[in-house]
Amino acid sequence: MSDVHAHAHGAHAHDGPLPPYPERATLDGRNKILGFWMFLAGETVLFGSLFATFLALKDSVMSGPSGQELFSLPLVALATFILLTSSLTSVFAVQAMHRHDKKGILVWLGVTVLLGLGFLILEIYEFVHYVHLGHGFTTSAFSSAFYTLVGFHGAHVVFGIVWISLIIGQVASKGLTVVTAPKVYVTSLYWHFVDLVWVFIFTVVYLMGKLG
Amino acid sequence: MTNEQGGHAATDVVRRKHVHEGPRNHLISYAISLVLTAFAFFAVIYADQLETWFIVSFLIVLAFFQALVQALFWMHMKDKGHVQQRIFLTGGVIVTFTCVVMALLWCWW
Amino acid sequence: MAHAHTVSAAPRKGFWAVLKDWLTTVDHKKIAILYLLGGTIFFAVGGIEALLIRYQLMFPEFDAIPAQTFNELITMHGTTMIFFVAMPLVFAFMNAVLPLQIGARDVAFPFVNALGFWLFFLGGLLLNISWLFQSVPDAGWTAYVPLSGPDYGSFGVNFYVMGLQISGIGSLIGAINFIVTVVTMRAPGMTFMRMPLFVWTSFITSALILFAFPAITVGLVLLMFDRLFGANFFDVTQGGNVVLWQHLFWIFGHPEVYILILPAFGIISEVVSTFSSKRLFGYSSMVFATVLIGFLGFMVWAHHMFTTGMGGIANALFAVATMLIAIPTGIKVFNWIFTLWGGKIRFTAANLFAAGFIPTFVMGGVTGVMLAVAPANFQFHDSYFVVAHFHYVIVGGIVMALFAGCFYWWPKMFGRLLDEKLGKWTFWTFYPGFHLTFFIQHFLGLQGMPRRVFTYLDGQGWNTGNLVSTIGSFLMAVGVIIFLVNVFKTAAKPAGAPQDPWDGRTLEWTIPSPVPEYNFKQLPVVRGLDAWWVEKSEGRKEMTPAEPLGPIHMPSPTILPLLMSIALFIAAFGFMYANQPFDNGFIRFLFEKYVIAIAGLVMFFGCMIARSLKDDPGYHIHPEELEGEGVHQ
Repeated sequence: MSDVHAHAHGAHAHDGPLPPYPERATLDGRNKILGFWMFLAGETVLFGSLFATFLALKDSVMSGPSGQELFSLPLVALATFILLTSSLTSVFAVQAMHRHDKKGILVWLGVTVLLGLGFLILEIYEFVHYVHLGHGFTTSAFSSAFYTLVGFHGAHVVFGIVWISLIIGQVASKGLTVVTAPKVYVTSLYWHFVDLVWVFIFTVVYLMGKLG
Repeated sequence: MTNEQGGHAATDVVRRKHVHEGPRNHLISYAISLVLTAFAFFAVIYADQLETWFIVSFLIVLAFFQALVQALFWMHMKDKGHVQQRIFLTGGVIVTFTCVVMALLWCWW
Repeated sequence: MAHAHTVSAAPRKGFWAVLKDWLTTVDHKKIAILYLLGGTIFFAVGGIEALLIRYQLMFPEFDAIPAQTFNELITMHGTTMIFFVAMPLVFAFMNAVLPLQIGARDVAFPFVNALGFWLFFLGGLLLNISWLFQSVPDAGWTAYVPLSGPDYGSFGVNFYVMGLQISGIGSLIGAINFIVTVVTMRAPGMTFMRMPLFVWTSFITSALILFAFPAITVGLVLLMFDRLFGANFFDVTQGGNVVLWQHLFWIFGHPEVYILILPAFGIISEVVSTFSSKRLFGYSSMVFATVLIGFLGFMVWAHHMFTTGMGGIANALFAVATMLIAIPTGIKVFNWIFTLWGGKIRFTAANLFAAGFIPTFVMGGVTGVMLAVAPANFQFHDSYFVVAHFHYVIVGGIVMALFAGCFYWWPKMFGRLLDEKLGKWTFWTFYPGFHLTFFIQHFLGLQGMPRRVFTYLDGQGWNTGNLVSTIGSFLMAVGVIIFLVNVFKTAAKPAGAPQDPWDGRTLEWTIPSPVPEYNFKQLPVVRGLDAWWVEKSEGRKEMTPAEPLGPIHMPSPTILPLLMSIALFIAAFGFMYANQPFDNGFIRFLFEKYVIAIAGLVMFFGCMIARSLKDDPGYHIHPEELEGEGVHQ
């Protein structure tokens, strides 16, 4: 049927059975998804500039400890594993959505949030530890760049945790509809992106930093 | 039809009958990501046995592949109806690449 | 649940009802008018700043304006004009015209669109309120470190850093809105290669904004961290790098100028073809050229940095890349000329400005190619030659196109035609005034006059040039005043402009002037490029509808965009004044402990959460309420 027809735009949640891919069933839903991809393209450049800044300043250690001295590979490996797994569980949440399995969505999104919290706790512990070792935000250009890049990523994790929690609440109370479905899909996209950025952070900041 | 996003949900299901919509592809992506991550960590752990330029290049390649796998599969970028997404994300990557080149080559003071 | 809503013949509303309407609107047509109004207000501010600058430079060693104030004037003039005049006016036309030209009822994200406007406005307010606080940014519109940093920078730079971050977010989300609108909301039959050129240029511009603004946002964040939180990004003594700022700024800054000029190119294409009664020559090559300019625009930023010492290879690369952009631009210029050639040309005010644009922009472009020659750049850099170049492309280019757009689309936006006679008076005062002001500046630069100087010594041969330039600026001011008189005079007239006053070619001329709330009663079928002209050529009086008449869904107005912008405005103050030595203990506590800053952020995120939790059902306009003409069952 023509999507140009007016009432598809603000779909009413309880008309008939839920379509197969509910996040794409309305023009509004498709717009939200495409719009979010555009936002991610912009975020790519945002993180790209932060990475560029870090790369330019990473050798300016001054009197503080260097990355090689600071970074602990086991901790980073654990954090990476946790975040990667949380990305997988968000995929499961979307697949549950395609099966119209409301409980599945809530469970898998819940697991995602918990894993995200785990990652965050590890990172906070890591930062506090570094500060005690003399690596503070104002110590050097390297330290400012480190905390800004990794911290911005962490801030994105925090935002994602809050956001997904709100979506869990909405699906729980309003149910899975053509209005809540795009929200689930978009948060999942966001969470994948956050993990994608982490791939480059652990590679460029931690692994290459460890190489010296 | 004004928009090509996602096409018709009904025919999509019909056409995709022979493609797994189960967790299989995603679990494979997860496994690949773990393997690539493991390789990266091991390359650094055994750094004294390998040359630096090799390790750095290897790490970059691994990172790109992992990012690609996650974007294509978990973010559905390989799926039909994602043309604009691919174009714009590629654009973002190009600009990011320019920023990185800038930082590495022209920030030497 | 959605409820019916009466559209036509509403009783006259009171002042508060009208105010509420405008503060809560998510209608792209109203938002367009808000952008126009905001841009014009800041144009007046930036214009007065310009006149003061020129006044001070009228005579050698003139002491009308002290040096510090002069530095503030040039900083604010540049920043205001680029971010708070040119960009919003461009956004005004994109909002007013783009959805109509693609045959859409609305943009993809009406809420985001409104938020984009209010963020721009509050950002501009924040920047300009610095005048009232007598703490004005003074490090140039480029705010190079370390002059803008914590060691040498004045407090005023904080207004710059905060104001631009806030408005930058607005621009970014506005761009996302337009990209999605163009991709998903075109009328049936409108393929990408049937879109009017203004839509194409707006689309590419939005892509440029998407990729360029994050870079400046990062730069501003880094500068903010250095200034407010003791970071060391640009502190050389702690290993920082000052050239990094320049790179980040110009990776944004160069695409920014293409963000400004591409919509102008789009406007010129529309105006020139309409007033030649001729199809735009070489449509495909125009599209291709636009895309190429957009792409190359990201590869040339360091031509602003030839003298920083990047080395010969880098300089050569950027010089060549910069010259390359002249090629697609040249294609466009030739296509405009070939469009006019052999057409039935009507020199309405709009077309006068468009015709004036073409040679002027070419002049600005060729001095750009001169600047691109890296060795020569060492002579031109930081001289008035550069000032002349960019004013030629920005004023002679963008502002001329904006005037053309005003005269062209005013009837569609306001239901009234601007007075043609006054329009011609505007052109014949502004245009010669412009050339008088800036042409001579090329020679001042070649004779060695540096830019950003608050005065100059007698006897260097610069006196006459500066005097002439200042007189020219007064003439430009006269032109602007005549235009404003025109606007007020037109506002007093009753609305009654025809639907298609210019015998137009594109879809916006198929609907009434001004445009009804829902844009199209029935979405049209598009059968080719210049969709309306195609129908007219076959003798039709209106577009074929693509759908039967039915209820039209509209998004609800909301105060949240305004609240969110105010929230960030408050938070910005909270961060800026955190370490200020207030006398009052309570106020010092509020700022020192970041209470104000956190309150602002909480308000911002609170609004976001409210928006997420409460879904908007909108409201419907029913067929019975739509005007009777042209209804197809």
